[in-house]
Amino acid sequence: MSTANGSGNELLRVEGLQKYFPVTRGLVFQKEVGSVKAVDGVSFSLKAGETLGVVGESGCGKSTMARCIARLLEPTGGTIWFDGRDITHLDRADMRPVRRDMMMVFQDPYASLNPRKRVGAIVGEPLEVHGVGNDEERKRRVQELLEIVGLNPEHYNRFPHEFSGGQRQRIGIARALAINPKLIICDEPVSALDVSVQAQILNLLKDLQDDFGLTYIFIAHDLNVVRHISDRVMVMYLGRAVELGSRDDLYREPKHPYTGALLSAVPIADPEQGRSRKQIILEGDVPSPLNPPAACHFHPRCPRFVDGKCNVDTPELIQHGSHLAACHFPLERWPMSEDEMRRREAPQVGAAD
Amino acid sequence: MVAALEVKDLSTSFRTDDGIVQAVSGVSFRLEPGSTLGVVGESGSGKSVTFLTVMGLVDPRQATVRGSVLLQGEEMLGASQSRMRQIRGRTIGMIFQDPMTSLNPVKTIGWQLQEAVLIHQDVSKKEARKQAIDILKEVEIPRADQRVDDYPHQFSGGMRQRVMIAMALINNPEILIADEPTTALDVTTQAQILRLMKKLQAEHETAIVMITHDLGVVAELADHVIVMYGGKVVEQANVDDLFVKPEMPYTWGLLGSLPRLNATGARLDQIPGQPPSLLNPPSGCPFHPRCEFVMSICRTELPGLDLSTVGNDHRFRCHLDEESRTRIWNQKKAALVNEDAA
Repeated sequence: MSTANGSGNELLRVEGLQKYFPVTRGLVFQKEVGSVKAVDGVSFSLKAGETLGVVGESGCGKSTMARCIARLLEPTGGTIWFDGRDITHLDRADMRPVRRDMMMVFQDPYASLNPRKRVGAIVGEPLEVHGVGNDEERKRRVQELLEIVGLNPEHYNRFPHEFSGGQRQRIGIARALAINPKLIICDEPVSALDVSVQAQILNLLKDLQDDFGLTYIFIAHDLNVVRHISDRVMVMYLGRAVELGSRDDLYREPKHPYTGALLSAVPIADPEQGRSRKQIILEGDVPSPLNPPAACHFHPRCPRFVDGKCNVDTPELIQHGSHLAACHFPLERWPMSEDEMRRREAPQVGAAD
Repeated sequence: MVAALEVKDLSTSFRTDDGIVQAVSGVSFRLEPGSTLGVVGESGSGKSVTFLTVMGLVDPRQATVRGSVLLQGEEMLGASQSRMRQIRGRTIGMIFQDPMTSLNPVKTIGWQLQEAVLIHQDVSKKEARKQAIDILKEVEIPRADQRVDDYPHQFSGGMRQRVMIAMALINNPEILIADEPTTALDVTTQAQILRLMKKLQAEHETAIVMITHDLGVVAELADHVIVMYGGKVVEQANVDDLFVKPEMPYTWGLLGSLPRLNATGARLDQIPGQPPSLLNPPSGCPFHPRCEFVMSICRTELPGLDLSTVGNDHRFRCHLDEESRTRIWNQKKAALVNEDAA
């Protein structure tokens, strides 16, 4: 899947996507002193009807990547093909018809709805922008949408503050659905919600996918949620994809030590299982993207670190077993404890694949 | 043995322009010295207000408090403000969710830690600074003797939460109240903080109250759990018993609606509807409007805190009879296990 062979129903292909933010110093003559490589060469493809889960910790570039794909941010490099068309550098006017097919749902249902507009106007706005139907038709469509997402169509005239967090997220989803998009990019859509409400929204997203054949990019930091909803999963660390594979392969046999650490860090809602498992606790924090570690960004925290290899050679995202991982010394099995992960003998440089 | 903290029949209500909000009603529990109590509930379940009341942090001009709060046998409700100030930070340490807003951005970490020492202990500034550096070392801040002079913005999120823990523990309190301490953190950082809390608890024999909405965190850290809903305790048990045989529909719903690492794709067992408004609480059982097993009695009568046959002092509120509860839970559990196998 890493090669650029477009299959018939491929909806989105991203190749070598980069987004660098300049870091400047000085007030008047802003001198560029460096750059934050928020997204640094991410490639993947997405088939119609599929869900790609993107996981990573804060600052790993997952939201920036989403915003680049939706062209809310201008990519620094790389190419984005959407529905067979290169949209990387389309201007505003050319981008407008593409936006009909690509919608976003945001994390904070309180901040992403205009508090001074009624629900009808919020959900109907995409229809208006793209000039779909007349007033009467639009109103009917909005009511239909409210019903689809499980809200009362009579709430058409209410304001966002009259709804709870879960209901607001439903409004955000109704808005994203308004003009039958092909791709919906969900940026942490459930992380601000209570567990019971989170389950409602996840089930709703699944139902909508079944009913309308939607394609999702689903960004979350919660590995349980991502596993629940995704067909394929991409793990990001400091702007790079470190592992990409089908959900079952990736969760059953993680290859990258970072993925392993992430999986083992999730608290298990079962005291007995929790006590018996092997846990890997990483030291330190995610380093600053302004000055990331050389070569493999993960090497200073990695239990498998090999001096002279990991800090010299940047690992490529290549096939290891069932899926892709960017690691010189991928995990042989899973689960593994931190100690088992550690490499005891120094391998010959170049011998490991 | 005297409990570290014993709360009996605690009720807190707030007067608002829209009417009286009964945030907490009739909550009782015991916290044994050196043990961990997990408090689980969704937003608006009353879990935070319960502990704000315990610490005397609700404004008496707006709130009415009834019941009893015994801190190592001493009654806290009605205690003077000066006595409460002695207790907060000395006997009870607190950690909040958002470390950035809980730290003073214009003072160094060292200054803030020393302040906590100087208020409660009769020591010199030099000694206070030494204590500050020691506690930073204990919460595993690298180069503590230098970082002590840094400002909060120079620390990462996980580091700031370590500083908060250091501040809460610097006077070696008997009780540590942690309100969603890891919710704002990334999962690898969360794992670090939970391990640190376990380690410090073992060393200092601190009793911990862990307020959270995350059943995973509870399973990992707690000895005893109370589940709150609509301002009431709806189930309480030893942590193992709660996960082996939860006894009421809300707890089933919480467990079922959790996406699990070892389960895939299937529909989640969602709880319909929204958590109740405490301004107009439902009559009878607070959970009845969302309960799939609701009976007519549930609408009128609040079930008592009955004793379960499983576990020691495992109590729950539900009108369903023993047989139905066992049957329903076995079905739900089977569904969870099937998912696991899939």
